[in-house]
Amino acid sequence: MKALIDYIRKDEWSPYVAGVLLGIVGILAVWLSDSLLGASGSFENLAGMLGKAIAPKLFDNLYFNFIMPPGITWSLVLFIGTFFGGLIGAATSGTLLWGKKSAVNPDEQWKRVFGTQTWKRWMWGFLGAIILEYGAGIAGGCTSGLAISGGMLLAPAAYIFIAAMFVSGIITAMIIYRARY
Amino acid sequence: MLNYIIALVLGVFFGFSLNKAGLTKYNKIVNVFRFTDMAVLKFMMTALAVSMSGLYFLRWLGFVTFPAVPATYLAGNAIGGLVFGVGMALAGY
Repeated sequence: MKALIDYIRKDEWSPYVAGVLLGIVGILAVWLSDSLLGASGSFENLAGMLGKAIAPKLFDNLYFNFIMPPGITWSLVLFIGTFFGGLIGAATSGTLLWGKKSAVNPDEQWKRVFGTQTWKRWMWGFLGAIILEYGAGIAGGCTSGLAISGGMLLAPAAYIFIAAMFVSGIITAMIIYRARY
Repeated sequence: MLNYIIALVLGVFFGFSLNKAGLTKYNKIVNVFRFTDMAVLKFMMTALAVSMSGLYFLRWLGFVTFPAVPATYLAGNAIGGLVFGVGMALAGY
């Protein structure tokens, strides 16, 4: 029992153990709720809700009416849970940076490559996330919604997506890191 | 309502596993593209293997019916994946 608690308190689990946990969560999502795990879709549900409130004309299109209808969806609730799950994960390992100064840009490797300025971290994070979410919108899912959830049902889309994601990810990392790659 | 509670609880475990695997860290995400730390891939593939075998077993037992699988659009999935990878390597999330 003590060994188990100690393991839960570890900052970094073996990826295999964490992977088994995620696999079980994926099974339960299908079994209990007939739903697939996903993260990027909830942003679109949320964006659709905001958009329809602010500019109903602009958001009155095929995509937001039928493909990604706005509203409090299952995946949006899941996403809220994910936030707290991450929080609990960091809290149990004692690495929660809530309210601490270093929380704005904690990654040493990032600082070595891009410099120590916080605004740069936020800018690249913001721009990268826009590109990422846009790509997820085109592909029909992200790493969790398409690659893992689709992959476990053996959907060809998932494997096309994983391959494409690694191709461009590797090229982008090469460009960013150049000689340090 | 029950469905939302399930979603919330599963979400907590989802986020927890992501955090413990280190996927909430920039270096983990980028280093998989540099082939210096394959934790992301180990994590993803383990999850895939577990849930895949679990679900197909449960379907064989007749406990689950599969939801609609994500549709295959060769161009859409591939182009989306290419755009996604750029964003992922840049943002590191």
